[in-house]
Amino acid sequence: MSQARFLIRRSLQGLLVVWGVITLVFLLRFITPGSPVDFVAPLDASPELRAQIAINLGLHQPIYVQYFDYLFGLVRGDMGFSYIRGRPASGIILSRLPATIELAVAATIVAIIFSIPLGVLSATRRHEPTDYAATTFSLVGISTPNFWLGIMLILIVSVGLGILPTSRRPIGLIPALEMLIFQLQISGIRTWIAHMILPAVTLGTYFTAMIVRLTRSGMLDELGQPYVKAARAKGLPETLVTYKHALRNTMIPIITVLGLQLGSLIGGAVITEFVFNWPGLGTLVIDAIVVRDWPIIQGALIVIGIGFVVINIAVDALYTKLNPRVSYE
Amino acid sequence: MISDRVKKSLKRELNHSLMAKIGIVLVLAIMLMAMFAPFFAMHNPTQQQLDRAHQPPLGVTQTSEEFRFVDGERQIQEVTIQGTAEHPFGTDSLGRDLFSRVLFGARTSLMVGLFGTLFAVGTGVSIGLVAGYYGGRVDDSLMRFADIMLAFPALVLAIALVGLLGPLTVRIPDPFVAAGLVEGMPATFVFPITLTIVVGVVNWVWFARIARGEALSIRQEEYVKAARSVGASDWTILRQHILPNSLTPIIVLATIQVAAIILLESSLSFLGFSGTTLSWGFDIAQGRDYLGTSWWISSIPGLAIMFAVIGINLLGDWLRDALDPGLSGEGGV
Amino acid sequence: MSVHTGEKPLLRVEGLKTRFFTEEGQVNAVDGIDLSINDSEVFGIVGESGSGKSVTALSVLGLIESPGRITDGHVWYRSPELVESIGADEPSAVDGEYVDLQALSPRVRRTLRGTHFSMIFQDPMSSFNPSLTVGEQIAEAVESQQRARANPRSVASRTQGYGLSSFIMSTVMPSKRYVKEESLDRAIELLEMVGIPDPVLRAEEYPHEFSGGMLQRAMIAQALAGEPNVLIADEPTTALDVTIQAQVLDLLLELQEETGMTILLITHNLGVVARMCDRLGVMYAGEIVERGTLHDVFNDPVHPYTQGLLGSIPDLDGTRDRLQPIAGNVPSLLDHEMPDRCFFADRCPKAMQECLEKPPEFGIAESSSHATKCYLARTSYDETDALTEDYFSSETAETQQIESDGGTQ
Repeated sequence: MSQARFLIRRSLQGLLVVWGVITLVFLLRFITPGSPVDFVAPLDASPELRAQIAINLGLHQPIYVQYFDYLFGLVRGDMGFSYIRGRPASGIILSRLPATIELAVAATIVAIIFSIPLGVLSATRRHEPTDYAATTFSLVGISTPNFWLGIMLILIVSVGLGILPTSRRPIGLIPALEMLIFQLQISGIRTWIAHMILPAVTLGTYFTAMIVRLTRSGMLDELGQPYVKAARAKGLPETLVTYKHALRNTMIPIITVLGLQLGSLIGGAVITEFVFNWPGLGTLVIDAIVVRDWPIIQGALIVIGIGFVVINIAVDALYTKLNPRVSYE
Repeated sequence: MISDRVKKSLKRELNHSLMAKIGIVLVLAIMLMAMFAPFFAMHNPTQQQLDRAHQPPLGVTQTSEEFRFVDGERQIQEVTIQGTAEHPFGTDSLGRDLFSRVLFGARTSLMVGLFGTLFAVGTGVSIGLVAGYYGGRVDDSLMRFADIMLAFPALVLAIALVGLLGPLTVRIPDPFVAAGLVEGMPATFVFPITLTIVVGVVNWVWFARIARGEALSIRQEEYVKAARSVGASDWTILRQHILPNSLTPIIVLATIQVAAIILLESSLSFLGFSGTTLSWGFDIAQGRDYLGTSWWISSIPGLAIMFAVIGINLLGDWLRDALDPGLSGEGGV
Repeated sequence: MSVHTGEKPLLRVEGLKTRFFTEEGQVNAVDGIDLSINDSEVFGIVGESGSGKSVTALSVLGLIESPGRITDGHVWYRSPELVESIGADEPSAVDGEYVDLQALSPRVRRTLRGTHFSMIFQDPMSSFNPSLTVGEQIAEAVESQQRARANPRSVASRTQGYGLSSFIMSTVMPSKRYVKEESLDRAIELLEMVGIPDPVLRAEEYPHEFSGGMLQRAMIAQALAGEPNVLIADEPTTALDVTIQAQVLDLLLELQEETGMTILLITHNLGVVARMCDRLGVMYAGEIVERGTLHDVFNDPVHPYTQGLLGSIPDLDGTRDRLQPIAGNVPSLLDHEMPDRCFFADRCPKAMQECLEKPPEFGIAESSSHATKCYLARTSYDETDALTEDYFSSETAETQQIESDGGTQ
């Protein structure tokens, strides 16, 4: 089977999973105690008013009708109206999406830049101080709750040293870039970076630590393989032996593990957003849960689920590209 | 249950791994702390003493400016508070003793960690064994469901479930207080049920996958076929042949999952979704508002989480390296 | 086949000791071996697995890795060309026309790999990187040799002038790539030379798309990329089918005749030795116990171990080319478990009291080229000196038990 066909099949499977996600999220409302009306109606609402509200929200319909209405709505990009804000949920969710994506991407970049060289150094200088430092860091890194790390960073960097800001960020990446390009002002992008550093480090630390661990043990395995000895025997520079030969094969299993672990990146993003008051999907969903704003809760969970499925397909594609031995089954 | 060979390799690994020793000491210390919290605690962890609020930890001197009325005039005075042995970790904004809160917080974390993992192991292993052993349509539908579960990041799902279902808790009487061994400590302990079930629910898939894989491969073994041919029931085969063989990877994973679940519990408590107020995560959230003045309120419970999770992770590394070298070369230090 | 004792050998190994410092203790993998290998000959090292053959090969190449270390000895390599280029920098390593590889700095030693020495490994499947094409990997060997020739100084560093920054640049700039187009072309020529059909297509394929025999040919091509003087072949045919084995061995002989290179052949297969080698050394427990021309050793083995290997009737025709099982197993090479006596005594059918008192030195038997480390080289076997049959079983009953459980090879 060709790679393209494999990816198409994988996408169809993904679509099936997304459908399952939508169904589960939809059913969530029916296992939750209490009616949405309780949260929407005034406390002193008369039974008639409550019934009217239920009809307005479409809650008087049988479940299957509500389900198909919701499903067909989704296909048209309609997630209903926010109970609290009265605006379309899809618009609210979309407006929050860039902040979350920026945070997740920044954290991933932080993680990759630091972790892979650290893991490689740790393996190539085994039992040297570099190795001990790297392994200690990675142990502490995977054991630290990231919301606490965020608070400690705020305490030390912002409160203690008074350098980076902790207020809600005033500008997103796209407006900042527009400022830079159309008005030739770098202040926007500077503000963006200043607000991004602490959240990105907070979210990225766990991943850095985890990839260091995986890279180190993977590299130790690979460096013991006969092909590494053969590469040295033919006089190849050590740089190529390490990075072109051993690291390449180390990355293949790491990518699979990372694909599975991206869930905790998204989960971590939710809580990091909460700590830094970040205007993303995470704060949106937590706020919505507190007030039972169902269209927002459902929409945001579905978007997160879809994002996760899409990332996993991308990871599969990367995996097949790196590993020539993969069989597309 | 544990063969001599396993004991031997555990011991050998322990002997030349300093990290494994540290892990065992940390875990034992925290388990003792949690179990005998009422004996070690110097104060009732829920006792508010507003006149003692914001006391720094032992050895720390805190200087702050306060408004005072002197002779009917409002003045700014510099106030210096010194940490005392009375409150070795200081007190929070309501004057509760942080040391005692850390001790009792260990109970919440460990109990949720252990019971949540047990729940995940129980559910996951049963589903996985059934799926792997029977195969076919049962297997397909269970594994598709597992795929859907995996499409939700565990933390997001947990936040949604706990946040929406609401915090159901039970109050368990403290046996030491009930027996009259200690006084002045809380008579009951709040155990967050929703939270425990939810952290189990979002983690069962991993165990299901392992159990299913083992069941799939062992099903084909000759001795299982032989057992079936002499008329052993499915239940007997699962219990006597397949389960013992998949035990090692499940134990290793379960250990690591306890650490993951403690982190998850603290996150949910931090968001205020857990229903108990005696939790490390909850205290960190309380201290957030006082970062500028009383840094210790948030810092110290976080360190407690970190040490607990480090200990369990080291324990997991030790078990993995000793029991299942095939899992990966080596981890940790 | 004839040996000119007056000729200066190309390679002289003297008292080489390689130790591994493991958690269980010190392992004496190579325990003071002496060898001399002549120009353009095929020299075989034969022995059971675990006797230290492969470690010897890796020691000559300087590829021993931690926890292993070469603790003693010299590897003298005759190369006037090398003496000229490095003599000024490393005077202590030079003696006449010879250079002591052991005394060279690791930087200089690295430059010799591929150009002067190269190696083919036992299992071609694991000795090629599974995720790079075969052509690319051979081209790497070509490239590293060309760079070494073009600029001998640059290759002395660990990175050989191609550091991490170059590697990162190469991922976006094709011109910065390590392997140049010409090297890929040369790789295809090499593949053709070792008899791989459709070399242009095969160069684009990955190792798992090759058969074992074809891949071993490709490895030979890779080893020849730098036109080495010495080719070390470590069990080159063990992983292959019997029919393919012969083809690969023939190819090696053919190439040896063409290029005149010296081959150091490591094997446990006496048939391979009989087919390929001019001279050989028999290895046991980290030592060379007997060495000489193929004819001397096969027709007139002196050491009881060699005799055991060859079976009771030495046979050059290859009808008995498999190792005959010898009772017992290769002994532990752990330092603290190695007795101060002949290491073979506990398995030796002709062990005498003398053998237990101190280990034998190399004695000269018959000709100066045929030597053996055994008392039997100068005294003939006298049954009255023999140890009782159960001498060792009473001494080491427990270890014997384990060994017999493990079986013999």
